[in-house]
Amino acid sequence: MAGMKTATGDYIDSSWELRVFVGEEDPEAESVTLRVTGESHIGGVLLKIVEEIKRKQDWSDHAIWWEQKRQWLLQTHWTLDKYGILADARLFFGPQHRPIILRLPNRRAVRLRASFSQPLFQAVAAICRLLSIRHPEELSLLRAPEKKEKKKKEKEPEEELYDLTKVVLAGGVAPALFRGMPAHFSDSAQTEACYHMLSRPQPPPDPLVLQRLPRPSSLLDKTQLHSRCTAGRPPRPLPQTDPVRLTQLYEQARWDLLLEETDCTEEEMMVFAALQYHINKLSQSGEAGEPAAAADPGLDDLDAALNNLEVKLEGSAPTDVLDNLTTIPELKDHLRIFRPRKLTLKGYRQHWVVFKETTLSYYKSQEEAPGDPIQQLNLKGCEVVPDVNVSGQKFCIKLLVPSPEGMSEIHVRCQDEKQYAHWMAGCRLASKGRTMADSSYASEVQAILAFLSLQRTGGGGSGNHPQGPDASAEGLNPYGLVAPRFQRKFKAKQLTPRILEAHQNVAQLSLSEAQLRFIQAWQSLPDFGISYVVVRFKGSRKDEILGIANNRLIRIDLAVGDVVKTWRFSNMRQWNVNWDIRQSLRLSLTSPHGKPQLQGPVTQSVGQSLGQLHISVL
Amino acid sequence: MGESNEDIDQMFSNLLGEMDLLTQSLGVDTLPPPDPKPPRAEFNYSVGFKDLNESLNALEDQDLDALMADLVADISEAEQRTIQAQKEPSQNQNHPAPLNIPDFSGAAALGYGANVAVTSVSQYEDDLPPPPADPMLDLPLPPPPPEPLSQEEEAALAKADKIKLALEKLKEAKVKKLVVKVHMNDNSTKSLMVDERQSARDVLDNLFDKTHCDCSVDWCLYEIYPELQIERIFEDHENVVEVLSDWTRDTENKVLFLEKEEKYAVFKNPQNFYLDNKGKKEGKETSEKMNAKNKESLLEESFCGTSVIVPELEGALYLKEDGKKSWKRRYFLLRASGIYYVPKGKTKTSRDLACFIQFENVNIYYGIQCKMKYKAPTDHCFVLKHPQIQKESQYIKYLCCDDARTLNQWVMGIRIAKYGKTLYDNYQRALERAGLASRTNLSTVGAVPPAPPATGPKAGTTQANGQIPQAAHSVNAVLEEAQKQAETTKPPPVASKRPPAPPKRKENPGPPGGVGSGEQDFMSDLMKALQKKRGNMS
Repeated sequence: MAGMKTATGDYIDSSWELRVFVGEEDPEAESVTLRVTGESHIGGVLLKIVEEIKRKQDWSDHAIWWEQKRQWLLQTHWTLDKYGILADARLFFGPQHRPIILRLPNRRAVRLRASFSQPLFQAVAAICRLLSIRHPEELSLLRAPEKKEKKKKEKEPEEELYDLTKVVLAGGVAPALFRGMPAHFSDSAQTEACYHMLSRPQPPPDPLVLQRLPRPSSLLDKTQLHSRCTAGRPPRPLPQTDPVRLTQLYEQARWDLLLEETDCTEEEMMVFAALQYHINKLSQSGEAGEPAAAADPGLDDLDAALNNLEVKLEGSAPTDVLDNLTTIPELKDHLRIFRPRKLTLKGYRQHWVVFKETTLSYYKSQEEAPGDPIQQLNLKGCEVVPDVNVSGQKFCIKLLVPSPEGMSEIHVRCQDEKQYAHWMAGCRLASKGRTMADSSYASEVQAILAFLSLQRTGGGGSGNHPQGPDASAEGLNPYGLVAPRFQRKFKAKQLTPRILEAHQNVAQLSLSEAQLRFIQAWQSLPDFGISYVVVRFKGSRKDEILGIANNRLIRIDLAVGDVVKTWRFSNMRQWNVNWDIRQSLRLSLTSPHGKPQLQGPVTQSVGQSLGQLHISVL
Repeated sequence: MGESNEDIDQMFSNLLGEMDLLTQSLGVDTLPPPDPKPPRAEFNYSVGFKDLNESLNALEDQDLDALMADLVADISEAEQRTIQAQKEPSQNQNHPAPLNIPDFSGAAALGYGANVAVTSVSQYEDDLPPPPADPMLDLPLPPPPPEPLSQEEEAALAKADKIKLALEKLKEAKVKKLVVKVHMNDNSTKSLMVDERQSARDVLDNLFDKTHCDCSVDWCLYEIYPELQIERIFEDHENVVEVLSDWTRDTENKVLFLEKEEKYAVFKNPQNFYLDNKGKKEGKETSEKMNAKNKESLLEESFCGTSVIVPELEGALYLKEDGKKSWKRRYFLLRASGIYYVPKGKTKTSRDLACFIQFENVNIYYGIQCKMKYKAPTDHCFVLKHPQIQKESQYIKYLCCDDARTLNQWVMGIRIAKYGKTLYDNYQRALERAGLASRTNLSTVGAVPPAPPATGPKAGTTQANGQIPQAAHSVNAVLEEAQKQAETTKPPPVASKRPPAPPKRKENPGPPGGVGSGEQDFMSDLMKALQKKRGNMS
């Protein structure tokens, strides 16, 4: 037993004094001094500490942290000798779970309790369980970059914090669902709001904020940003029934693109913007749940026809029924038409236009309508491009119609919104081979009208300057949807029609489908999921960049940005990471193509991400 | 109700007359000078469909004969079955369900046969006009007999069933069908019926049954445009009728049935597309060989993730300038979203790329002998155009590669970008089909569950139904239901197999013979006509 004394007060055993601070690494904190020997067990020391503190409290989560060795003393049966603890060790007696502020991919912060003593992977798994995100192996934590001291003190808007520290997770494998969300979220209004934040996409950011956020300007900058939240391509297919995971992945993808961390082309950006607009619209309209799976359209038709037929059969002869069934609504009106051609000076001319089934025909005048039209175009498979300026009262439909001879371009100009919406909806359906008898016609008309009204209130006509956040809440503000370099390149009124054009291809998607589409398109980008590290190869004198993707390593020329060589993990027989040399990490790869060795000033996190890959490769 | 029935009868007898005419002209048509004049009725209703091309029209006699032989086989089988069905009622009245199948397959075969006759006579694709079709098909199920079934609910139910059935038939009748002349690799041709619901896969399966080939995954339908000198492989999921509808009436385009190893080359040797060292020949030997396991994992990585990985493909290609015979060398890159090029003085980073073309509205074709026709630098050309464009146009894009290997990589890469996972699914299905063929050795009709052949001589019931087993099943199901309904409500199952029959006989004075139902009257009429025709032929 430690602490045996002689009559004079000298200690006769080999015991010594051990000072333990109580609290979380705060030197000012209270401390207790214990008398221990090298044979004392950690468990015994813990008991003694609690006795010394003389406070009634639940100590079950507390453990000892050894500051110098940066190590938790978790093996309670180990002796101090076994750990190598001497009197000079700085030990802290504190809770293993501590509150942290976690910034999620959607840029919202959550305060929650995370384990500081477990390996990172398990800690992440526990966090994921709390946030009900499956597949924690896809995720990791990233220490927020140190805030640089700014000369002007910019007022950082106080971030809204969702507090989850008090949530206690019940044991068990799968958390039960309650009211459409994991049960532990439904305790209070606050946690419920938090779940909504997690599972619903956020509105587009204020373009001004977007411009202020740091963006990488070169490949070299990207090397600072290595190891994002997910490492590489998620290996599993994304089920649509996983709202939090899907949303957070979507948010990560979105910010990744908006901050230009993964580059994409202009055309791709327009599709991303259209998807963002669509997702935002759906999530704001409160349609978080999935709409009922669309029934087979064929069956729908049949049912509709059946009803129709039944009603008709009660009264009239079947011939009428058939007439009715085969009648297809048509549009007829005076519209102005323009056919762009080389060397033409003609402008828009008034014509009598008839739109029936999928065919658009126009005549010189209404009187000539029974005769042969000037031109007849089958719009099936054509491209429909809106050319609209609400403030300028311009409602144009540009049609690029394929025909055996090539494409013919024709512009149709409508007088007002209502007319435009009807004709536009007809054109869109016709381009997909459907007629205005299709059940989606009315909703398409409504969608177009809604869109026009959005443009009236929102972005549409504003000039060079991005709009404030107030406008983005209602209307379409294109600057919040694209990366800043496109903000500089295009005016808002140039962007809007392009986004709308892309939007028409995705307008039918449900929320989760749209998110999934966004993530898929993001993952299809050639630059997706590559972390960049500055390295120096053995025998080489200049710095180079090593790109680490989920399936390969890429050696990139720093100056030009060209890919010099690619090693696929599946081709590598063996590779080792030399962990001992912190500053110059050695990586030796053995592949059929030779043995490249590289060394370079690589930080530990790179080693970690390589290590993770190592595991994933095995 | 009575009035409407009379209407139906009226229309039916009209139709009978029409059919008689058709079957007669059919006999004539097999003789050398084909009657070019299509029946008037069809014209009115074929609005909205495009005309079929000439090559399909110019069916040679032997093709027509073969087609007819198939049809006759169908119909005579149906005829036998009808006779059987007539016999059986007296023997086993307790099991009406099995009897329904022959009944209705007979009816369907009839409808089908009628359609075929019309198509080959009118010589272009044709949807049977709904109004005439309706009464004909509706006939087997006229309103319920008023005397035994007095309960209104039953009547309503039975009516609903009948309407459903009638609508099914209507739909069936509306199905667009084409007679397609397929050129085989031995320079012979085969004509077969393709309906608008069939994919290239279905047509291939059909051809497998007819040709007894090895059914390997390399077999494909192949379209060639002699005028544009382009050609391409049909993707297995593509709707054949839709593609052919884009052809013009006087086109020289052809459909071929042949083996192309390019079709699924990426799945056989993915390393040639995914691991090719750009421009470096040194590793070529080694990269071309890869063990099966590595191939599999590479395919899984590329095609089974959340999104399909498009091969990284970039390099200098020649682009034909619009409307000129000059070619410009540009640096192109393939991305999932389209083909891009590097503008002058820019780098090949994503932000500098300019979009050349996106794949939504274009198909990819091989260009044939572009060196001669367009003065291309090499003969390894590929062409991108909207499927509807059939003539030379500035909207057709011509690209030229340095060698065949690059060409194949680009064509395959574009197909992967355009079709994504579908391509892989198609391959899996083709593999399954090939495996099936090699296992059974004899490719009997019964061994092939999907896509029953249209006109094979050893027709099963599915065949008689005009290639749509699903539709046939649902019809049967509906009928069985109606049957059950009738059985449970009527204690003595008097002629329960054909509830419509008794009233029909009463209300319909027209049809002679009185075999049972209008359908059979019609059948016998058609039979007669056909027998007459057979006599003509021999």
